[in-house]
Amino acid sequence: MTSALTIPRHGGTGEGTAVAARARQVVKAYGSGETRVVALDSVDVDIARGRFTAIMGPSGSGKSTLMHCLAGLDTVTSGQIFLDETEITGLKDKKLTRLRRDRIGFIFQAFNLLPTLNAIENITLPMDIAGRKPDADWLRRVVDTVGLSERLGHRPNQLSGGQQQRVAVARALAARPEIIFGDEPTGNLDSRAGAEVLGFLRASVDELGQTIVMVTHDPVAASYADRVLYLADGRIVDEMERPTADAVLDRMKDFDARGRTS
Amino acid sequence: MTVLKTSLRNFFAHKGRMALSAVAVLLSVAFVSGTLVFTDTMNTTFDKLFATTASDVTVSPKTAGGSDETPQSGRPESLPASLVAQVGKVEGVQRAQGTVMSTSVTVVDTSNKNVGPTGGAPTIAFNWTPNVLRSVEIASGHEPRGPTEVVVDGATAEKHHLKIGDTLRTIAVTGDLTAKIVGTVDFKVTNPGSTLVYFDTATAQRELLGKEGLFTQISVDAKPGVTDDALKADVAAALGGGYKLQTAAEVADAGRASMAGFLDVMKYAMLGFAGIAFLVGIFLIVNTFSMLVAQRTREIGLMRAIGSSRKQVNRSVLVEALLLGLVGSVAGVAAGVGLAVGLMKLMSAVGMELSTRDLTVAWTTPVVGLALGVVVTVLAAYVPARRAGKVSPMAALRDAGTPADGKAGKVRGVLGIVLTAAGAAALVAASRAAEAGPGSLWLGLGVVLSLLGFVVVGPLLAGGVVRALGAVVLRIFGPVGRMAERNALRNPRRTGATAAALMIGLALVAGLSVVGSSMVASATEELDRSVGADFIVQSGTGQPIVPQAQAAVAKAAGLDHVTAYKWVDAKITDPRGKVSTADLAATDPTYVKDLRREVTAGTLTDAYGKDAMSVGSDYATEHGVKVGDVLTVAFKGGGTAKLKVAAITADTGQVDNGAMYTAIPTVTRHLPADRVPNSLLLLASAKDGQETPAYQALKDALAPYPQYKVSNQADYKEELQKQVGQLLNIVYGLLALAIVVAILGVVNTLALSVVERTREIGLMRAIGLSRRQLRRMIRLESVVIALFGALLGLGLGMGWGTAAQKLLALEGLGVLEIPWPTIVTVFIGSAFVGLFAALVPAFRAGRMNVLNAIASE
Repeated sequence: MTSALTIPRHGGTGEGTAVAARARQVVKAYGSGETRVVALDSVDVDIARGRFTAIMGPSGSGKSTLMHCLAGLDTVTSGQIFLDETEITGLKDKKLTRLRRDRIGFIFQAFNLLPTLNAIENITLPMDIAGRKPDADWLRRVVDTVGLSERLGHRPNQLSGGQQQRVAVARALAARPEIIFGDEPTGNLDSRAGAEVLGFLRASVDELGQTIVMVTHDPVAASYADRVLYLADGRIVDEMERPTADAVLDRMKDFDARGRTS
Repeated sequence: MTVLKTSLRNFFAHKGRMALSAVAVLLSVAFVSGTLVFTDTMNTTFDKLFATTASDVTVSPKTAGGSDETPQSGRPESLPASLVAQVGKVEGVQRAQGTVMSTSVTVVDTSNKNVGPTGGAPTIAFNWTPNVLRSVEIASGHEPRGPTEVVVDGATAEKHHLKIGDTLRTIAVTGDLTAKIVGTVDFKVTNPGSTLVYFDTATAQRELLGKEGLFTQISVDAKPGVTDDALKADVAAALGGGYKLQTAAEVADAGRASMAGFLDVMKYAMLGFAGIAFLVGIFLIVNTFSMLVAQRTREIGLMRAIGSSRKQVNRSVLVEALLLGLVGSVAGVAAGVGLAVGLMKLMSAVGMELSTRDLTVAWTTPVVGLALGVVVTVLAAYVPARRAGKVSPMAALRDAGTPADGKAGKVRGVLGIVLTAAGAAALVAASRAAEAGPGSLWLGLGVVLSLLGFVVVGPLLAGGVVRALGAVVLRIFGPVGRMAERNALRNPRRTGATAAALMIGLALVAGLSVVGSSMVASATEELDRSVGADFIVQSGTGQPIVPQAQAAVAKAAGLDHVTAYKWVDAKITDPRGKVSTADLAATDPTYVKDLRREVTAGTLTDAYGKDAMSVGSDYATEHGVKVGDVLTVAFKGGGTAKLKVAAITADTGQVDNGAMYTAIPTVTRHLPADRVPNSLLLLASAKDGQETPAYQALKDALAPYPQYKVSNQADYKEELQKQVGQLLNIVYGLLALAIVVAILGVVNTLALSVVERTREIGLMRAIGLSRRQLRRMIRLESVVIALFGALLGLGLGMGWGTAAQKLLALEGLGVLEIPWPTIVTVFIGSAFVGLFAALVPAFRAGRMNVLNAIASE
């Protein structure tokens, strides 16, 4: 155990005790011998259910890799990852695909939508692929929440960047996944549109009880989360509960300074 | 310089994406150069053959036809033996030898199997003279000595397992000759497939010409220092003008001329199919470059931003095309030589022996291959290259995502509709044409215009047709099907071009199959309507029937009557003095029962009276001949007769159009016995209720004469269908090249689409699309594109075929028959083609790493 901090088994606020996903001694390394690069270095992490977790860190810190591994998009070199009680490390592609389809939602930084499908088709796509009927009431509620009822028939290229990301959020929410992963979901948006999307994410946690994990390098975005994890050099080096943008920024500056002097 | 460097780098960086285009160029160029090498090799083979067989000067009868002509009488024109001595005395003659040569023979083994070729090359019988040793050498045994000895060529002996001591029966017009094989000879040059037998001179004269003291040719060799031309002049001076004299060079030229027709037809037909493959390849190349340019938009924008001119960008794409063309063509020329060798092997399987010794690669072949390949590739890349030049520098700054989906424009729609309408109008004009000449021009114009129209309008049709197909085929696959449909529709121009490539080949298949089956249907209908005979006897090669075989047929049990049908070469002078040449049909009077002909005037049975005949309605109209008029008929090699026109037959239908009938005795009265032609075919009818035993009796009677075949009406129809089917299969085989290139085009489009949609595929995989679903999506897109192409092609082809049939109705092709089984098979087959084409692209898409796909820029 080399991380700077021991992650508590349950959330520091004491609100929820359940864990939606956890990583145990996860190592992700590329190459071997001289050229070996360690992206994740024995990471232990618990993602609390029903909470909004942000993962921060400078470029190359391994934050995206961690998210990809947690989401079953990438394989680990060693260690274990559990989604609820299911160990996903070692699952074959078929099972992993089904797991992503049925239990996980995604919001990417860009290129979230299929250009050939309109907004509502994009939103229901994971359920269509699975051959499931979307729950009509829930779908309406999600669509209303993200404020897209007027634009459901539009193709992605007829929507603004903010609208496109809201469709992506709606898609992630519509299937009621156990956990939603966001990879810089507001990275390509101006601050107003970004705030809008983050507001929806926050609301979905508060009102719908959704579990969300978001990778970001934007302190303002991170301030929407319940808890922020800091990654550096493949390790979790710090965490912060109920962050504010200023506190996050200060903490980041600390790391930068430490990084320079060490 | 930098332009070239960029082009080279791009070319090699994207060689995978160009691979299929290169293969398309390769295939087309290989077909062209293979055709050229093959036909040149055949020419070389025949040139060498004619050059070695001919003596310095050959003397033949003035009236003799070419060496490949089989006289109807079964007896070649001859010269008296005394002439040989006369020629021998001419100044400058080293040696004069009398040659007997006949192609009117059939050679069979003891089990009555024909040892000669049954199509194409002839069976030739010769007398044995030193002249023979110009072209062959004795491989085993010795030359023929006496009436029971025969020598056969080694290739035939090997093929039919003949040994020295085996017996061969030679069937000639004078009767059958049974002789023992005493030797075999091998050719010094390539013998492309003729069977040759040699007898001693007296035997050859008796058996082939009917009596001793005759020759068909005199082979004259010059003394050293005397040129062939001088010798020819001397011999001509000594003999007078009654003979045909040819130097060795003239014989070779005549030989080449007699082959030229056949070889040229073959050459241009094959080049035509190569041209179709090229046309199809153009679509593939256009698509490839369009997609490469689209995928490289940002890169090109950057080039423009840092100062490349439009022209430089444009040129860099064209240089890439040039490289592609060069690589494809060089490989294509090499493959072409291989193809030619393969073709030669294939020909040897059907009895035409060609040797790789004679393999001829003229310098023009690689030049033509390279020029064609490069020019076509560069031309095809021109439009995409221009589009590349138009990319704005701003493109570098924009987030490209996927390239903008192409839209089909209005201009295209109008142009396409105008072209299609013009094509349709021309096809209608063709089908209503009153004369074949202008009608076929309309047909050609209609085919070209409607094809162009469909190519242009294809992308616009894609929307509707793909959606309709989607409704039928894709809906059952749920969201995967829907995404496949959307993908097929997102770039109609690309889908249209990909489908158009397939459309071309399939349109030709459909068109020709309509014509072919209409041909069979029309002939069958005609047979049912007009043929009364139960059986027909004829040879497969058009050789007349020897008298002994005809006698055997006449003796067969259970027959009501046998009708002989002969062709007599004659010059006919109408009452106004206008002369024309024609083949008179001399038949037994029972012919009127065997073939029902309509008459416009007179009675056909009267034409079989003494010195009477009938004419066709076309002749009657053209020459103003009425029933009762008298025509002057000069029989070739015989006397002149005044024949009264007793009937005029209506020239409708396919059988015997324009025939002039007369009775056999009318002909024999005016011809010497050895000039009377043998029967070209025999018709026979069984006594009532005896049809089955009579058919068997005929087959038994003809068993010793395997060169003739007897068919009843049902078998005849079946053979006809088989023949047309075989012909169509050959054409389909040649069209397969174009279809293969079109399939490569589908593979190419899908493979490049998969590359282009990397991020999309990653996204779909991330949110839970399984590999299997992804592969299915790509396969379905492929199937829809293929079905779209098939639908257009089959529709177009059936239109062409119908117009062609209506036009050919003038030539007796009266029945239109759409071969639905073929059409449906092709349609369903193209769905499988789609599945097949998607195999590799789908596999590769499935293998794509989800993360890389998401991260891909």
